[in-house]
Amino acid sequence: MFRRLFFGLLLTCAAVAGAEPEKSVVRITTFTQQPVFDAPWRFESVRRASGSGFVIRGKRILTNAHVVSWARQLVVYRYQDPRPYLARPIFIGHDCDLAVLEVENPDFFEGMEALEIGELPKVRSTVVTYGYPAGGEQISYTKGVVSRVEVQAYAHIGNRAFLAVQTDAAINPGNSGGPVIQDDKVAGVAFQGMSGLENAGFFIPQPVIQHFLRDVEDGKLDGIPELGLRLVALQNQTYRKFLGLPDNDLGARVDYLYPELSAAKVLRPDDVLLQAGAYPIASDCTIIYQGNRVNVSAAFGEYQRGEAMPLKLWRQGRETNVSVTFGSKRLDQAEGNQYVLPRYYIFGGLVFTPLSLDYLRSFGANWADATSAELRYELFFRRMETPDKARPEPIVLATILSHDVNANFSIRGRALIDSINGIRIEKMEDVVRAFESSTNAQDAIEFVTQHNLECLNHAEAKAANAGILSNNNIKQDRRL
Amino acid sequence: MRFFQRTGIREFWRVAVIAAAWLAIGQSGFAGAKAERSPWEDSIVTVEVTRRQYDFIQPWTQRNETYKKQGVVLGPNQILTTADYLNDLSLARLQKNGRGPWVGATLAWIDYHADLAVLTTTNAEFWRGLKTVSLADPAPTAGSLQIMRWRNGNLENRKGEIARLAVRRSRLSFIEHLTLEVDSEINGAGWSEAVTIGGKLAGLTTSQDGNNCLAIPAPFIKFAVQGATSNPRRQMGFFDFVWQKAENPATLAQLKLTGEPRGVIIIDKASGADKSGLLKPKDILLQIEGFKIDTDGNYTDPNYGQLLLENLSTRGKYAGDKVRLTLWRDGQQLEVAYPLPRAEYNVEMVPEEVFDQAPEYLVAGGLVFEPLSEPFLRSWGAEWKRKAPFRLTYFDQEKPSEERPARVLLTIVLPDPFNLGYQDYRFLPVDKVNGKIISRMPDLVAAFQQPQNGYHHLEFGPGESVRTMILEAASTEAATRRVMEKYGVPKEKVINQP
Repeated sequence: MFRRLFFGLLLTCAAVAGAEPEKSVVRITTFTQQPVFDAPWRFESVRRASGSGFVIRGKRILTNAHVVSWARQLVVYRYQDPRPYLARPIFIGHDCDLAVLEVENPDFFEGMEALEIGELPKVRSTVVTYGYPAGGEQISYTKGVVSRVEVQAYAHIGNRAFLAVQTDAAINPGNSGGPVIQDDKVAGVAFQGMSGLENAGFFIPQPVIQHFLRDVEDGKLDGIPELGLRLVALQNQTYRKFLGLPDNDLGARVDYLYPELSAAKVLRPDDVLLQAGAYPIASDCTIIYQGNRVNVSAAFGEYQRGEAMPLKLWRQGRETNVSVTFGSKRLDQAEGNQYVLPRYYIFGGLVFTPLSLDYLRSFGANWADATSAELRYELFFRRMETPDKARPEPIVLATILSHDVNANFSIRGRALIDSINGIRIEKMEDVVRAFESSTNAQDAIEFVTQHNLECLNHAEAKAANAGILSNNNIKQDRRL
Repeated sequence: MRFFQRTGIREFWRVAVIAAAWLAIGQSGFAGAKAERSPWEDSIVTVEVTRRQYDFIQPWTQRNETYKKQGVVLGPNQILTTADYLNDLSLARLQKNGRGPWVGATLAWIDYHADLAVLTTTNAEFWRGLKTVSLADPAPTAGSLQIMRWRNGNLENRKGEIARLAVRRSRLSFIEHLTLEVDSEINGAGWSEAVTIGGKLAGLTTSQDGNNCLAIPAPFIKFAVQGATSNPRRQMGFFDFVWQKAENPATLAQLKLTGEPRGVIIIDKASGADKSGLLKPKDILLQIEGFKIDTDGNYTDPNYGQLLLENLSTRGKYAGDKVRLTLWRDGQQLEVAYPLPRAEYNVEMVPEEVFDQAPEYLVAGGLVFEPLSEPFLRSWGAEWKRKAPFRLTYFDQEKPSEERPARVLLTIVLPDPFNLGYQDYRFLPVDKVNGKIISRMPDLVAAFQQPQNGYHHLEFGPGESVRTMILEAASTEAATRRVMEKYGVPKEKVINQP
């Protein structure tokens, strides 16, 4: 079972804060072009897709991040109005899959009223989705009930999980970014479904929306910060006894702390979190959040970067109160989904680019079969298992642009770089420095995989560079 | 050893495909039925083996499976066959003439790395009329030959054409040796069928893929038999290094090699078996035993032409023998006498095979621990490299160290009130127990005997779903007994001494 995004076809409309939300819902047509991570100077062909959005305060449109990612052009349409308006994203929160757009022509908003963000809907209550899903050109409405409220993985970025609401209202491709309405207010933003489930769609609820909107109020997007801890259930009685905890259902155990993140400065392994803010934490890592039992991360999600969260914890046999200040979000370049053009550097036909999940995913749905185990290990395990050997930005030799100077390389790409000319490669700048400061006759490139060694004649490679770029229609030898 | 990328040796599908083909042959008969008695009828026998098969997810369970394969008369009281399917043997029987009574047999010796074994029987009647084969040494390099086996009481005789002699991994091991590749229309071969030429044994088949059969050639058989029957017994050796081709002139210039490009570049150890310290990364290997190595890693064999250098690890040299290597290091040529490391499965972090022993395990309070091995990973089927948990399969890429020569896993938790809260954890590599590093099962047994302040502290890798577990030492034993009773586990542990 996996989550899928309901983008690819349309949605949204506007409404006066009264009985006509559809008038505030807009249809978004996008023309996207993704980079080719394996050949990072190139782009895939332009694709047309569509989604939905809706007007919010400040003459802006709220939609999903995945609707507008990699967009070369965004066109928005008003309710029952054929005129196209050009729009552009001003904030894209890839972690929470939300984006704010502005429209170039202010006339677009004439007569439209912002939809008001409502509350987290109750389970079993009724909601209506508004949007422009596949199957037609006009706005579509589907009605359903709120099935459950839980913390779910957000498919767009793939490695974060936040509060989400499941509904049986049909949410189809094109609904993405459209509002889910209850009592004429926005209860959420439709965003994804789950393969294998019937009559189940998911929307981003008010707490996550409000977090995002509050985040960008200062004109800067910080993203949803992470505490940087792995909390595990504490339901084994022996473990509870070992920690001196009362035999009740309170408290989840800190199992691992990510060294570079906030929690590591305050918490320790085997601390037991009893309460986060106002929320008592149960032994299965859940809290009661507005009547719903959800993962405790919903409580963490209420804080912005720089804000402090009071924590009550159990440490060494007694209760302690601490405060954790949320830092920046996880430094997860190595985990991909950054939605920025890939950095690259080309020398002697060798194309270097950072290792990322986006890079791996560019090899298709079966990317795990198309890439070496070393790349996957480096990306997903290295920093946790051997942090002293981890690199801030692992670099791969993505491919080789064939030329006499590199024709005898036995490694042709998709290989992790260990060092160049004796310089350990920790980030792209190291690659540039290693080649451009070289005074060696040969440039020696050592790979992590099997410790292979390949060399270039430095002078010949340098002389050939311009020709290689020209032959491959590459304007720049780098994007740093 | 070239790049040390093992392909799974004993593909499970192979059994099914071969069995199906065998059945089809049995039903439809076969071409080449004898017109007159072949002298090979006195030298080829049918071997029936029954062996124990283990379920590595529940390592205390086993079943028996029976296979039929072929053997040849190697000498007085000696039936030579391949070692494949002779591991964990519970019963072996022999039949001559393709029909008639079966006689009980025992293993005289087995060499899994060479994939060869000799069976014998004390039944004197069985040997009557049987004739010893002679080995075709050197092996033929071209032309026609025959592949023979007993089927439904007749000696099936199929024609084959020698495709080539090449150096390949042994079927049951990482060692590499001379291999005979034969094109033939035969179906379902690979069960030690006799490959014959001019009245001599050219080899024994080990596998078939389409029309291509692989066979252990007679010269290697002769070498392995000599080693197995020597006193003391000689074992197979291997080159414990990884090399890359030296086709890149810039790389050779970087390594200060003068003259024509030649040799291969040693880049890493293959395992931890070589303790000599004679080889270093970036050495250029120029010659082995006086044979010049080209930039593709080939040498010119006096009998067989171009062969991969790995053949020189199994060409007349056994483990412990010194092999003369000519190296280029730091602009200088030097010679070293490289002692061939012995091929053993446990030189790898994840042993490729675990033969002739019941799977090791330990049950502690319902937590089941086992060593990580390829047989365990094959529980995920033929595509285990894709389907097994990635972190476990990645251990197969790692090299053993002094501190961590192997890994032990928490494989499953058999639910019990004692382990409530832990039941969902599985397939976790154990890092430490009670502060002791755990590499092998005896480490685990010893660690469990040293609880800390009344508790067992279990630690797993930081990349796993949980890092620590705590068990109450005083009640672990009672919980173990309860779990064994509830889940039908006959023994608390099976630990094999190294």
